[in-house]
Amino acid sequence: MISPVIVTEHLTKDHMSHFLRKRFRALDGLTLSVDRSETYGLIGLNGAGKTTTLKLLLGLLKPTSGSVSVLGSPGGAQQTLRKIGFLPESPHFYSYLTGAEFLDFSGKVFGLTKVECKERAADLLKMVSLTEAAKTAIGKYSKGMMQRLGIAQSLINDPEIIFWDEPTSGLDPIGRRDVRMILLKLKEQGKTIFLNSHLLPDVNEVCDRVGVLHRGRLVGTDKISSITGGGSYQDLEAYFLECISSSEVKV
Amino acid sequence: MNAVLAIALNTYRETVRDRVLYAFVFFAFVLTLAGILLGSISVGQDLRILEDLGLATIAFIGGIIAIFVGTSLVYKEIERRTIYLIVTKPIARWQFIAGKYFGLALCVFVVTLAMGSFLLATVYVVSPGHIINSLLLESLVFIYLELIFITAVATFFSTFATPVMSVVFTLAFWLIGHMGQSLRQLGHLSASTTVAKFFDAIYWLVPDLSRLTTVRADLMYGRQPDAELLFYLVSYTAAYIILLLSFATVVAERREYQ
Repeated sequence: MISPVIVTEHLTKDHMSHFLRKRFRALDGLTLSVDRSETYGLIGLNGAGKTTTLKLLLGLLKPTSGSVSVLGSPGGAQQTLRKIGFLPESPHFYSYLTGAEFLDFSGKVFGLTKVECKERAADLLKMVSLTEAAKTAIGKYSKGMMQRLGIAQSLINDPEIIFWDEPTSGLDPIGRRDVRMILLKLKEQGKTIFLNSHLLPDVNEVCDRVGVLHRGRLVGTDKISSITGGGSYQDLEAYFLECISSSEVKV
Repeated sequence: MNAVLAIALNTYRETVRDRVLYAFVFFAFVLTLAGILLGSISVGQDLRILEDLGLATIAFIGGIIAIFVGTSLVYKEIERRTIYLIVTKPIARWQFIAGKYFGLALCVFVVTLAMGSFLLATVYVVSPGHIINSLLLESLVFIYLELIFITAVATFFSTFATPVMSVVFTLAFWLIGHMGQSLRQLGHLSASTTVAKFFDAIYWLVPDLSRLTTVRADLMYGRQPDAELLFYLVSYTAAYIILLLSFATVVAERREYQ
């Protein structure tokens, strides 16, 4: 039996507005699980709670109620962070550092030796087509280049679980294709991938299973093979819209 | 320890590559050179004025760098969302705070060294026969001690306050630290015991930095303070730095990163 490596149970998160300290619910009783070596796509409209879910899984936020478990430990546990790679949405870097310096830094915090850092950084820079820009200050990078660097840094420790938040945002069509290729390669290596996206064609191509998040609630979850049968993403789009409209009717 | 060193090196690189830093250092050089002009209109005290003004410039410019860089040290990470790529790696909050602090302390060290070397070179050029004694170097050490204390105050405030508010808080802390004794005496002059207790409380809450200035002045006048006092001052400052960084860690651990 395959054991789940990512589990949330009745996960709820309330945010407080800055003005008047008004409370609003960003995530409402989310229960999901992701098995080892599975590629799970969390899809939803903007503001559905996808990024909040990721932040709770990584310990950037603390749950209002419910629980989070990644590799058997609570979100953000140090021993778990060693085994995961994270790409935030539109990643931001230190503008005065070069791409190679940031990867070197990332490698060092994971305890890689100087030689390992150098080799791994060179491989990853090549993989994301940034070798020529390796010694350029990140401040001079385009949005797409930063996204590529974000992908590279998330893989520096050869993680067991990969959390990527909108990995194809800011990328041109060639960049998007490259990211899909990287994802498929990581899948082949047996990595567990947790993907946040609202780009359904990408999700359709790489994910094994999807969850539809709407207004903080999981309104649908199914295997991609059952939804599209290996066909067009339009079936996934139809499923997505159906999940959302039926949840609206219930509300 | 790897993580602390990596963050410190990162912070140092990031800070030292900021051009604003060089503008401050250039300004310090100009101010030091102004000491030659002021010294020339004095009566036989040209070197004393050059050294005094040079050291005051190092303390002032170093303080400005420590405050303005330090107060945005952690806040900028949160504001620019670079922190997402840090705290999602196996880095404990204390390692993050310590790394940021040591990185800036290293930058302040390099800047102090550059400004100090320029002062010594200027003294040598003005009077090649003048023997630069160790007391001037000791003064530089005490300036650095004060600067790394200010860096710790700025780092602490930057974990929860905006840079503008952090600058205000840190400046207030710095000024009160230098005037603590005077404020306490002022309180005791008052007829009201409440006022006296209030100023007493401020005196005990805020570290007493006036001793550092007194020791520096003693050194400049050729009086070597006794070893016991020096040890006390170093331990006192180090204890406050550890305390402030511990508070900063607690704040960083408790906060959420939205």
